[in-house]
Amino acid sequence: MTGGSAGEDGSTVEAAGGTPVLRVENIVKRFVTDSATVTAVDHVSFTVAQGEVLSIIGPSGCGKSTLFNVIGGLAEADEGRVVVEGRLMSGPDPAIGMVFQEESTFPWRTVGDNVAFALEVAGMARAERTKRVRHYLELVGLKGFEQHHPAQLSGGMRQRVAIARTLAFGPKVLLMDEPFAALDEQTRLLLGDKVLQIQQELAQTTLLITHSIAEAVQLSDRVLVMTYRPGRVKRIVDIKLPRPRTAEIIGSKDFGLYVAEIWSDLRGEASLGMKDAEAHLPQAE
Amino acid sequence: MANRPLAEAKCLPAALGLGGLAAVLALTEMLIRLGWVNRFIVPLPSEVFVSFERIILEENVLSRFLATAGEALAAAFLVSLTGVALGAFLHRHRLLRRACESWVAGLAAAPLVLLYPLFLVIFGRNALTIVMIGFVSGLPPAILKTVEGFAGTPKVLLDVGRSFSLSPSQLFWKIAFPSALPVIFVGVRLGLMFSLINIVGVEFLINFGGLGQLVNELAERYDLAAMYAAICFVILVSVFFFIASEKLERWLLRSA
Amino acid sequence: MTSGCPALGVGLLRLAILGTILLLWEALARSGLLFRDVVPSLAKIALALGHLGTDPDFYRNLRGTAAEVGVSLAIGGSIGVAAGLLLGGSRLLGKAFEPYIHYLGPTPKIIFFPVMIMWFGIGPGSKIAMGALSCFFPVALITAAGMRQIDEVLIRVGRSFRARPWQMATKIYFPAMRYPLLNGLRLGFGVAVIGVLLAETKMSNQGLGFMVMQSYSQFDMPGMYALLLVVFALAILVNATISRLGGLDSTQH
Repeated sequence: MTGGSAGEDGSTVEAAGGTPVLRVENIVKRFVTDSATVTAVDHVSFTVAQGEVLSIIGPSGCGKSTLFNVIGGLAEADEGRVVVEGRLMSGPDPAIGMVFQEESTFPWRTVGDNVAFALEVAGMARAERTKRVRHYLELVGLKGFEQHHPAQLSGGMRQRVAIARTLAFGPKVLLMDEPFAALDEQTRLLLGDKVLQIQQELAQTTLLITHSIAEAVQLSDRVLVMTYRPGRVKRIVDIKLPRPRTAEIIGSKDFGLYVAEIWSDLRGEASLGMKDAEAHLPQAE
Repeated sequence: MANRPLAEAKCLPAALGLGGLAAVLALTEMLIRLGWVNRFIVPLPSEVFVSFERIILEENVLSRFLATAGEALAAAFLVSLTGVALGAFLHRHRLLRRACESWVAGLAAAPLVLLYPLFLVIFGRNALTIVMIGFVSGLPPAILKTVEGFAGTPKVLLDVGRSFSLSPSQLFWKIAFPSALPVIFVGVRLGLMFSLINIVGVEFLINFGGLGQLVNELAERYDLAAMYAAICFVILVSVFFFIASEKLERWLLRSA
Repeated sequence: MTSGCPALGVGLLRLAILGTILLLWEALARSGLLFRDVVPSLAKIALALGHLGTDPDFYRNLRGTAAEVGVSLAIGGSIGVAAGLLLGGSRLLGKAFEPYIHYLGPTPKIIFFPVMIMWFGIGPGSKIAMGALSCFFPVALITAAGMRQIDEVLIRVGRSFRARPWQMATKIYFPAMRYPLLNGLRLGFGVAVIGVLLAETKMSNQGLGFMVMQSYSQFDMPGMYALLLVVFALAILVNATISRLGGLDSTQH
């Protein structure tokens, strides 16, 4: 239980190539409930290289979202540390930009003002702000929607606004927690394409948390599979699919092989989680 | 209904409503003229209609309206300021909120207008008593809705703010407050409604001030037609106020 | 703050707040800063409360007011429910007449009191009429809204099982509308109390409202505080009881 970081089968824990931008080292997070102490995240370590997309995948309840909050600085780890470009993170930091799973655009601000939010708080001059907002809205394909309110947009468009808002602040690492979870399948694929395209364009170092195997394979350079409770690194899979990728890749044979490989890793963990959930249901007498 | 042309289907309800109202008035007029209803209890609708001109010209309706509006404005100011501040304060101090929220809800259910004889003793028979009654009766809903509005702020929005390293006061003013604002406004509007109802009511009861007093005076003079006209006038004014505030709320919610 | 036992903390805080208020009150009463007896000492209020408790007059007036509120709730409530069912059941009628009820609802009903006196006399009749008039509006509006918000699927289920109209009413409509109906009853009670009591303060020779005005004219401040405390406590109690009965959230407004 101690120290065992990852890579039981010897796959790469270190970033494949390039210099690591994000180092996550031995993160441990426990929760104290009435009856017991639950270890949600247990000695998780990995790195993400410059321009790389790393996905973390695991069954519900494996501590993915806890890890997201710890890396983003919204929650404090009990052990371990997060380092970006050699700088130790303590609390929320501009170096890490977070995109949340839930609806997170501000309904009282226009699309443009949403994207400008962090810049405004940081005290950037209006002219500069407007320029940046326009640039990032164009990047996510929402040119001309500055004056709209989020309520007038579709769910997928709103999530793009949230991504633009985070990117506009210029984070070193883009940290996303199931950003497509609330969307339908087709929108999800198309938005995945869009994110990949932006990621390539900006060479944006990205850490994506997801429970969709297809999404992880479609988007990532490497996929980190987590165990169910306590959440540990089970293994890291290199995805050697050609780039640039589009959603069409999900039809390819290699794609299917990767999905099958990851599913065989994940299956046992997921069924553990399901049994656990069933056991905790209140029983009828 | 579904088979009717669209335009007709749209006007039909309104026409039926107005027609129904007109029919009731005509029926009343007829019954009184036939002597089936005592005209010293219910005046002729036509007489009431004619009396409108009289109360507007002879009874200083404008200045009475302004008196009531002034009292309502003062109470509105006090209600929104105090209610929102207290609501925000309760939200910030969770233990205090848990201790007091049900008390405030209890006060909202209590007939607070009944405090008016007490206020008469404390403040005297003047506008201050009326304003204070309006204030006290409008306060609980404003507080409750403010607390509800803040409690309803989605956690993820606050997380967004924290991920951008906002300070606590920035979190409050840039995220929590604007997010709660629509619900807060609902509460303030609710409070103002209670304030206005009770202000006019107390004016009537203590025979002081604006429009409420007008009804009382005409009743005491036993000027039936004018009294009915005055009641209609007060109803029209309050209906106008409620429609306006509803429109304002919708507009605010849409642009929020 | 959240550590330890929060329920205990809340209880202690409530005691502390109450204690502080009472202490401040007593200090104000003894300071003589305010006009004599505007803020009477706690002992005097307690004495007046005890006095009320043993006063047969109080119980007579309480019964009178309670009866007026009860009758007005029965009359205004049943007319309100009937009107609500009619308006909620028919789109045409709803669209034609509901706006009138909606906008007349939040108007000061007490100004109809002179009319009610003329129609029903200065006795309990006019008070009951005031209460009934007040509670008609919220009950009618909530019933109509409740009728419309019934999940259409439930009605289709009932039809698919070929339920007869009476069965539809008792097995589908009524159970599906129990919360709005109870909520209507709760709000209706609140405004009926106000209607009846205010009418009693304006012109009457019995009832709790009359007693309040009596203590006002005799400048019996402790008596007035005691009366108001009892009236508020009763109103809050009944409101909370209806909420609890229906499993409604009492903080919901």
